[in-house]
Amino acid sequence: MESKREEKVKVFSSGMKVARGEVEVMRDRCKGCGFCVTYCPMGVLELSEEYNVKGYHFPVVKDEASCINCGLCEMLCPDFAIWSLLKEERPVIELPRRDE
Amino acid sequence: MSFRAGMSKVTGDIHPSDSYLRVDAIPSVWCSGCGIGLVVHTFIQTLKYLRFDLNKLCVVSGLGCTGKIAEYLNLPSFITTNSNLFEYAGQLKSKNAGSKIIVFSNNADFLVSGAKDFIEIGKKNIDLTVIHINNIIYTITENGIFPNTPFRRMVTGQSDELPFNIPHLAKSCGAQYVARWTPLRAGWLMYSIIDTILKGNFSVIEVVSPCVTYYANRDQMGDAVERMAFYDHFAIMKPGESTENLDLRAHDRLIIGKFLDKDEI
Repeated sequence: MESKREEKVKVFSSGMKVARGEVEVMRDRCKGCGFCVTYCPMGVLELSEEYNVKGYHFPVVKDEASCINCGLCEMLCPDFAIWSLLKEERPVIELPRRDE
Repeated sequence: MSFRAGMSKVTGDIHPSDSYLRVDAIPSVWCSGCGIGLVVHTFIQTLKYLRFDLNKLCVVSGLGCTGKIAEYLNLPSFITTNSNLFEYAGQLKSKNAGSKIIVFSNNADFLVSGAKDFIEIGKKNIDLTVIHINNIIYTITENGIFPNTPFRRMVTGQSDELPFNIPHLAKSCGAQYVARWTPLRAGWLMYSIIDTILKGNFSVIEVVSPCVTYYANRDQMGDAVERMAFYDHFAIMKPGESTENLDLRAHDRLIIGKFLDKDEI
């Protein structure tokens, strides 16, 4: 039996495109609350081991190819420190799988 | 309708919302992971989405953590004293009939000393949008009990009174639009603010937002993410619920939704 994901890929493989984004972080504004890391649906981000000017761990991009430009990190950031930009569009089949 | 419809393309080291902020003052004084930042960002997104004329807008805020909102927004804005918040906003509206007034209020602004003016404004149905950020304690005095503190909470000065019910107060005062959300439901909050800005009635939106610093010592609940997620999972969506059932009892779930809209299309 096909998994749900394979079904979806079959349905949407005919010409459907998904956006690809690029995350940008303003590291000195970040206070390290971790909302962007927790709520990113594709697991793009992780907290760094370095410190910024204020002494917090800021988010860095772990998996650059997965970002779908949903804008959730920008929406949930209380300190206006992270945002994503639209880069290009690509077919949905190339969407990488997120390991739970 | 997409969330990012009103967004313009930006390059370089500038946040898309920077034109709405006083950039020199940022990073803000709010604690790491505070819900006020989320509410402010949602408000900015709303203005972007509506492409609102910023000359016809004024933001009024009072004291405390919430009072800093007017400081960080690059809009016509006023910080008022504690007891005069609603009186000030009402006068501003009566002198500038064409502009839209947004009030960011605090527990202390709302219940302790500003309630008289709030009731007056409600009776006259003055066109104000009140975004009330309820963090269920006095933020500055660490453990003090408050009319809004949930039933049998661990605080100094224990009392057995039921907590105050802000949506019901707003409805009884004559508000035309009453809603309650948590900060993580940013999309719902955004649509509520759009509704209230476009309709032009006296409308109250309550945002139940955790205090990250002072409750942390009492609750032992962990970091900001855990706390915000707890509030969000504890909440249950019941739109159209009678406002009498909406006080913050200890063992009931936090009811969120849009409860009253007399101007509904």
